[in-house]
Amino acid sequence: MKMLEIKNLHATIDGKEILKGIDLTVNAGEVHAIMGPNGAGKSTLSNVLAGRDGYEITQGEILYKGENLIDLEPEERAQRGVFLAFQYPVEIPGVSNIYLLKAALNAVRKYQGLDELDAIDFLTLVRSKMELVKMDEQFLHRSVNEGFSGGEKKRNEILQMALLEPALAILDETDSGLDIDALRIVSEGVNALRDTDRSMIMITHYQRLLDYIVPDYVHVLSNGRIVKSGDKDLAKELERSGYSWIHDAPEGVGA
Amino acid sequence: MKQLAEIHTAFIERADDVSLLNTPAVNALRQKAKAQFERHGLPGKKQEDWKYTSLWQLGQEQFVYQAVETTLDAETIDRLALVTGSYRLVIVDGVFQPELSRLADLPQGVKLQAMSQLDADIADQLNQQIDLEKPGFNALNTMLFSEGLYLHIANDIQLSQTIELVVVNSGKTANLAVHLRHLVRLENGAKATLIEHYVAVDDAATGLNDIVTEVALAQDAQLEHYKLQQESVTSYHVATMAAHQAEGSHWHNANISLGGKLARNDVHSRLEGEAAHLTMSGLYLVAGDQHVDNHTRIDHSVANTSSDEVYKGVMDEKSHAVFNGKVFVHKDAQKTDANQSNHNLLLSRGCEIDTKPEMEIYADDVKCGHGSTVGQIDMDQLFFLRARGLDEVSARSLLTFAFAVDVLERLPSDEIKQALSTVIEQRLPRGAKV
Repeated sequence: MKMLEIKNLHATIDGKEILKGIDLTVNAGEVHAIMGPNGAGKSTLSNVLAGRDGYEITQGEILYKGENLIDLEPEERAQRGVFLAFQYPVEIPGVSNIYLLKAALNAVRKYQGLDELDAIDFLTLVRSKMELVKMDEQFLHRSVNEGFSGGEKKRNEILQMALLEPALAILDETDSGLDIDALRIVSEGVNALRDTDRSMIMITHYQRLLDYIVPDYVHVLSNGRIVKSGDKDLAKELERSGYSWIHDAPEGVGA
Repeated sequence: MKQLAEIHTAFIERADDVSLLNTPAVNALRQKAKAQFERHGLPGKKQEDWKYTSLWQLGQEQFVYQAVETTLDAETIDRLALVTGSYRLVIVDGVFQPELSRLADLPQGVKLQAMSQLDADIADQLNQQIDLEKPGFNALNTMLFSEGLYLHIANDIQLSQTIELVVVNSGKTANLAVHLRHLVRLENGAKATLIEHYVAVDDAATGLNDIVTEVALAQDAQLEHYKLQQESVTSYHVATMAAHQAEGSHWHNANISLGGKLARNDVHSRLEGEAAHLTMSGLYLVAGDQHVDNHTRIDHSVANTSSDEVYKGVMDEKSHAVFNGKVFVHKDAQKTDANQSNHNLLLSRGCEIDTKPEMEIYADDVKCGHGSTVGQIDMDQLFFLRARGLDEVSARSLLTFAFAVDVLERLPSDEIKQALSTVIEQRLPRGAKV
């Protein structure tokens, strides 16, 4: 089953074209890595998929389970199972983590036509998911990400993902700001969530993350286009040769 | 269009009808206040303290003093009151309601009464904390107050149960003016929790509440003093809370303004004993064409006192808020530790905040800080919540609520914190829900 089909996607921000014709197909159960140098358009792609304001889609379409995502609000995408793990998770003083988790889960459940979980079932569920990312229960009662370390913030993102069980997860630079121990915990959490019904797109600058979460496919994004696609060995190649070679690659290579 | 002079005359004419505390000493105070009011009247916009708050509209009103007789049942009061199970003093449309109040079984050493029920002359306790010299409402209140709460707690008595003063506008009498004076005196080591709660039964109730609360805290006395102004958005509310703090005393003043067409609060404390500590917490939530003005003043008069002040506000639609916080560190007040901040959240383009934190420091060895911010809903936070499935309306409400209730985290009482949090959730400006 095709989870996501991106066809000839062009997107601009403040009139400047950042995505210049992206084509990408992700099937159910697949993990794709999108790599590329700074300024290639990686973050724009993740923001456009999640529906952040400020981007104009000038051409192309994004089909998620066959439905066009472009006309949907961010919350409608989330309720349908699209999840963005943020590169920089925001701090929200005054909103406790447990409140956020509950509100998010209930929003998804409501869309699915399910009742809200009662307090006890909810807590049992959250606790089981917290084990996955080795988070202490005290984090539930703290304000969302406030005063969290870089690693704690990223674990919190994966906790939200584990709870919401999305069909499509976009992990935006999940490895940034993580030391090796935190990277291992986060990766183990993500790997535990790999499933034949769940697809993932990992957006990353560095190959390092891919040692922990091994992708089925690797794509190289450069100057708003996917210039090369391959399997996990492509990432190794990038590690050896860096990104400099892609600037010399002819237009239209790859994908 | 009426001139302010007309409402001055109406207020002055009322003075002869006031009969509360009819003793020579009190009458002398009232006469003095009347002379003062005749001279100055209500403050105008030329006066710095009233620069951003116009009384022009108030001056157009014709207030009445004869309330239609009203009886509210106990259930209504239970519904209106902020907390349950507390001592309660209930005033409806300016009239003390003994049958709705709960003043029985007070511990020895605690005197809690309506002013109209007092048997002793308390003239020497009046006007101790307020200044009648400047134009303002203090002279008016002294001239016209006709009810109020009297609380006196003797040495070392620690009252664990909360006292809630419930001042209700039933909405039965249009444009009713109510002038109240409250006196709160805690002797050495005494401790109490007091809520002043101003509330309307009817959302369309009109009228004026003119309040002065005088607080005297003796050595090591501790008062948690909450004020919730939750009246209709069609009424006027002008209040002063003024305290004197002796050595080692602690006044925690929390001032929550939700209602009112025009609400003005002057909160003032004089820290005149070493190790006196003051906490001021404030929150205002306004929408529509509401106007709220908070003026605070803290005088650090002696060495080694501290104050910690946080006011936060949320404005929507065409509302207007004013914050002016003055902290004075006097010449001998070395080692003063004073912090003041004011943070504002604007939800729409039409609203306005005038914020002015001020510090005047005449001592050289102090630790003082102040600041203010004005901002909007954070777009990154909003997107984050929406990306987690919360619709925009809920996400905005949640962020607004989080901004506001942050102030409540400062409050010592969990029960009151919880109750206020519920009230605030229900009163979130509409702009938070768009």
